[in-house]
Amino acid sequence: MSAAGRLRFACDTGGTFTDLVVEDDAGGVEMYKAPTTPADPIDGVLASVALAADAHGLELAEYLGRGDVFIHGTTHAINAILTGNTARTGFLTTAGHPDVLLLREGSRPRAFDHSLEFPEPYVPRALTFEIPGRFDAQGEELSPLDENAVRTAAARLAELEVEAVAVCLLWSIVNPAHERRVGELLAELLPGVPVTLSHELNPSWREYRRASSAAIDASLTPLMNRYLGGLTRRLEEAGFTGRVLCLTSQGGMVDANALARTPIHAVNSGPALAPIAGAHYNGAEEGTTEYAIVADTGGTTYDVSLVRGDTIPWTRETWVGGAYQGHMTGFPSVDVRSIGAGGGSIAWVDDGGVLHIGPQSAGADPGPACYGRGGTHATVTDASLVLGYLDAEYFLGGAIAIDVEKAQAAMRQDVADPLGLELEPAAWSVLDVATESMVQAILAITVNQGIDPARATLIGGGGAAGLNSIYVARRLHCPRLIIPDTGAALSAAGALMSRLTAEHRAVHFTTTADFDPQGTRERIDELAARCQTFLADAGAEGEGAEITFGVEARYENQAWEIPVELGGDPATTTSADDLAERFHQAHRDVFAIDDPNSTIEFVSWWARASADTRGGRAFGSLHEAGADGIETTTRQIYLPDEGLVEARVIPWHSLVVGQRSTGPAIVESPFTTVVLDSASEFERTAAGSLVIRP
Amino acid sequence: MSAHNGSTQQLGGAELAVLAARFEGIASKMGNTLLRTGRSGVLNRARDFSCCITTRTGDLLVYAESLPIHVMGADMLTRAMLELHPEIRPGDAFLHNSPYHGNSHSADHVILVPVFDDKDVHRYTMVCKAHQADTGNSIPTTYHAEARDVYEEGSLIFPCVRVQRDGVDIDDIIRMCMMRIRVPEQWHGDYLGMVGAARIGERETLRLAEEAGWDTLDAFDEQWLDYSEGRAAAEIEQLPETDVTAVSIHDPLPGTPPEGIHVRANVRVLPDEGVVEVDLRDNLDNLPSGLNLTESTARGAALVGVYNSLDPSVPKNGGSARRIRVLLREDCITGIPKHPASCSVATTNVADRVANVTQRAMAKVGEGIGMAEFGCFFVGSSAVVSGIDPRTGKPHVNQVFLGATAGAAGPYSDGWLTYLHVGNGGMCHVDSIEVAEHYQPLVVHGRGIAPDTEGAGRRRGAPGLRVDYGPLGEGNLTIAYVSDGENNPSAGVRGGLDSTPSWNKRRGGEIPDERLPQSGLVELAAGQQISSLTQSGGGYGPPTEREPERVQRDVLQGIVTPARAKEVYRVAVSTNGELDLEETARLRA
Repeated sequence: MSAAGRLRFACDTGGTFTDLVVEDDAGGVEMYKAPTTPADPIDGVLASVALAADAHGLELAEYLGRGDVFIHGTTHAINAILTGNTARTGFLTTAGHPDVLLLREGSRPRAFDHSLEFPEPYVPRALTFEIPGRFDAQGEELSPLDENAVRTAAARLAELEVEAVAVCLLWSIVNPAHERRVGELLAELLPGVPVTLSHELNPSWREYRRASSAAIDASLTPLMNRYLGGLTRRLEEAGFTGRVLCLTSQGGMVDANALARTPIHAVNSGPALAPIAGAHYNGAEEGTTEYAIVADTGGTTYDVSLVRGDTIPWTRETWVGGAYQGHMTGFPSVDVRSIGAGGGSIAWVDDGGVLHIGPQSAGADPGPACYGRGGTHATVTDASLVLGYLDAEYFLGGAIAIDVEKAQAAMRQDVADPLGLELEPAAWSVLDVATESMVQAILAITVNQGIDPARATLIGGGGAAGLNSIYVARRLHCPRLIIPDTGAALSAAGALMSRLTAEHRAVHFTTTADFDPQGTRERIDELAARCQTFLADAGAEGEGAEITFGVEARYENQAWEIPVELGGDPATTTSADDLAERFHQAHRDVFAIDDPNSTIEFVSWWARASADTRGGRAFGSLHEAGADGIETTTRQIYLPDEGLVEARVIPWHSLVVGQRSTGPAIVESPFTTVVLDSASEFERTAAGSLVIRP
Repeated sequence: MSAHNGSTQQLGGAELAVLAARFEGIASKMGNTLLRTGRSGVLNRARDFSCCITTRTGDLLVYAESLPIHVMGADMLTRAMLELHPEIRPGDAFLHNSPYHGNSHSADHVILVPVFDDKDVHRYTMVCKAHQADTGNSIPTTYHAEARDVYEEGSLIFPCVRVQRDGVDIDDIIRMCMMRIRVPEQWHGDYLGMVGAARIGERETLRLAEEAGWDTLDAFDEQWLDYSEGRAAAEIEQLPETDVTAVSIHDPLPGTPPEGIHVRANVRVLPDEGVVEVDLRDNLDNLPSGLNLTESTARGAALVGVYNSLDPSVPKNGGSARRIRVLLREDCITGIPKHPASCSVATTNVADRVANVTQRAMAKVGEGIGMAEFGCFFVGSSAVVSGIDPRTGKPHVNQVFLGATAGAAGPYSDGWLTYLHVGNGGMCHVDSIEVAEHYQPLVVHGRGIAPDTEGAGRRRGAPGLRVDYGPLGEGNLTIAYVSDGENNPSAGVRGGLDSTPSWNKRRGGEIPDERLPQSGLVELAAGQQISSLTQSGGGYGPPTEREPERVQRDVLQGIVTPARAKEVYRVAVSTNGELDLEETARLRA
């Protein structure tokens, strides 16, 4: 490996580990994992870089000094929300509508479950103030803004020692005059207190979503300013002189100081990058399929997404804290669905003799029974251990001591005895039911959208992906399964492949019945100009930069819009026929039906700027430091239909590129274990992945 | 006990779990398609629809994204199809809305698609039901409470009529609807959504059968229903033997007796048999009113009341329903309607009283069982609004969902705030003010929690919501609603208190505030508003046992005032939310 040359760092702070992936300009890629320090996450960031510097025998300052960019992904913002550690935030709303944040948009997760508690509003009523002044849907003023009410509210907010303020007035997207004036007054009356105006942050209709965006954003501003300021400063102090970029919920990146201004974009950045890496690995191998299903297995969740070529899927409905029980961010984000199925999920048999996995999880503490930390319930990890898939001597690279007997005892008591099965078949049933819930999560994002998974590649990310991915792939009829060499740090790898992005939106309502080409074009031109400014400010104009357009639309009287991509030519937005054709097609793609005679309503328009920062270089394959000299051995494992078999245990790095083998086998690296049965054909490829025909 | 379908294969607990997940996946795909493609507000915002799969004999197997009061009757819909059409074949689809043939009420259109194996043997039926914006009633509402019979109600009745043969529409039927339904394009959009959802279910079921084999699926049907029955039985066997009667009174409306409708349920818990029996026969004969229940909603409401009182993980299907015996009689307002009795409002008002009285009776069985009563349907905030839109000059009609807060307290949690009514299961969305004002020529002047309206209790009901709206600018607005709960608010149980009565008023313009009648059509002129208080839910357990911290939170949230906290809950909280535990202890001593 070259000692000189410039470096690009991507660092992803997770709940347990801080992952670092480093890429050099010769195309080499390295991966490190340091424990996350929840009290001071920046400590974990610096520790991961120190590990890398050590591996090269360099001082931290010298090593960091070679860096051009440092890309950071963090769960700091979402953790602050989930643990209630955000700023004390006030909320100003239109008079008569104090409960916008409480009512949300209604509905609930399960009809018959009367143990569910209705969630608290994001800002309590005691910090909510009603401001007289009203526009109607056409932007006509029904009553003037009461500036005295704003002054009274500001005085009370100061008394209550509020640290941030969110403002959302009805119809501010059609006429922002009142909201803008409230912003001016607050700047004057509450100097130094950050204020988020809903129409500026998130110009979209449905007041709850806009109010929730503004409230979440305001509440994060003080804390994310401190955090991102601290990160930049401490990296500089440690010797870094390059550019600090941060990941967003949209799977792109922005400069750290830009994120500090609108921190809501950090909220769902955690899982947003795995799909980008997945798209890359699908494209990097022979036999690329049109679709790739990207599945990231964690300790408590299984995150899935569907990518088409390089197109990353989006959702308008992003919840923090669960659908109907948490808060909507009001922004689109990369559409990654999470289910509570991870290594810690608990297996149990109900009174009627049916096996269930979860939703209870043993988490990291006490963890699975085999951790010996007081967990007594059988988990998915215990099942993998009983089946021989995991190596008790070398679990997480030997970081945790494992007790196989505890796993067996829990499995016997909780699953095997109640089902009347032998130990191994019982453990397999646990994996089988977990596999089915993973399959259902994937069907929800494929079949439910009219996509046949039999046409897709499955990409397995996360350290535990290899345990049952062949069965997930087989059940879905996926023609191939890829376990990338960076799979255990898929998000950090994705960060290195992501682009600088910004998205701007505007509401402009028009229909095919009375289409307004001129008004539409004006909005589109405004949005395009803002995208140009972003690219210029980021120094990212020129080659590799692009601006694309889109619209959210629906058939007349439908309640829910669907997004329609319009490509890069603004002229497409002025032809009603062209727009209609694209909408019908999108509706068919999503729902398998269209209604060509129906009027189409266009609601909200967007322009998205994006720019490459890689200069067109390809992403390399992983160099595994210190892995030489580990030999192939054997281990007894249990496979369904085959029973107990003697499987080869092959170190990942010792696989010869391009040489095909079949199972039964286990391929192991310090971060990953892949189970392969007799029907699986597998090979390591030049791009570094393990490619499997399940 | 179970109808043996001839399969001999024995599936394990893991296989049952996997196949159940697959069938639920199919139903949920059907539901998602319908929700996203539906046109009427009652479908795509109130989620007033259901998608489910029934077995070859008509038992409800699985459902998803569904309204409880709908889905419980899927078996009767399928059996009507089998009885009326012995010659069904692949490619058929049926349109069904007949209240006399197993449907909930005429406003719910149902598409049934029978699924066949490669030997043309009928295996399953895909059932998609959705409440329509209009079904051709004599007045612009799908809830015609004052209709003296089905003729005055005016809805087009389709007693399970074939609407597709060989997968192609029978255009005669489509044309009939297009001529008699007020918003034909909206109806047609919903029809497309329902047929699309049912056909998607058909395709996915065939795919599943190809993988798993029909024999395995037969075995699954039988064993899954037996398992569900066993779960329900195990729950019921733990209850004490009980025989209780409870009465809930629906407010008087035109066409009802002056004292209102007494809804009586005799509930017997028979732990030895593992059965709960709900007897609804001791009630009024059919009335010359749209409030009569259908067989489907009478039984469905009783099932909802019992299911609300059992462990939520008991699957709701034809198996567990075997353990809930509902006794009905013909020509009865809570039974089997006698043609031409009108059942226009059969899914909400009296049906809600049946579910409520059932779960209230269950609450008498013991601590930790049953629930209080949910708030009644439906005041002006959920009205069907119509008129001419002054912005376009075009007629409009749609139901708005500006807020309902009917959540009842259970033994473990406070009432869920955004609950439309008990039969809806809280699945409804609440209209965004901006969306409502964009689609309808109206202005919502206010929408907020009304303090001190909750049914107090150790667990409290959801508080009432006050909603004020009126026509935009110089326009007029016609409002139709059928409001119960002004005289008889929802009852608390086990020492929990009743909720506050709901009301509707007309305000503004020349006239002083005016109390509006409980049902009918109300005209709002320019400058006027309708102001409604939604009905909140009843409480569970004595309010003096409520944790002081919960009372404090309610004060901070504006749900309870400090005065009521002191008087009713015996908790001392200051206006700015400070809790005085010493004073509380004195108050509660």
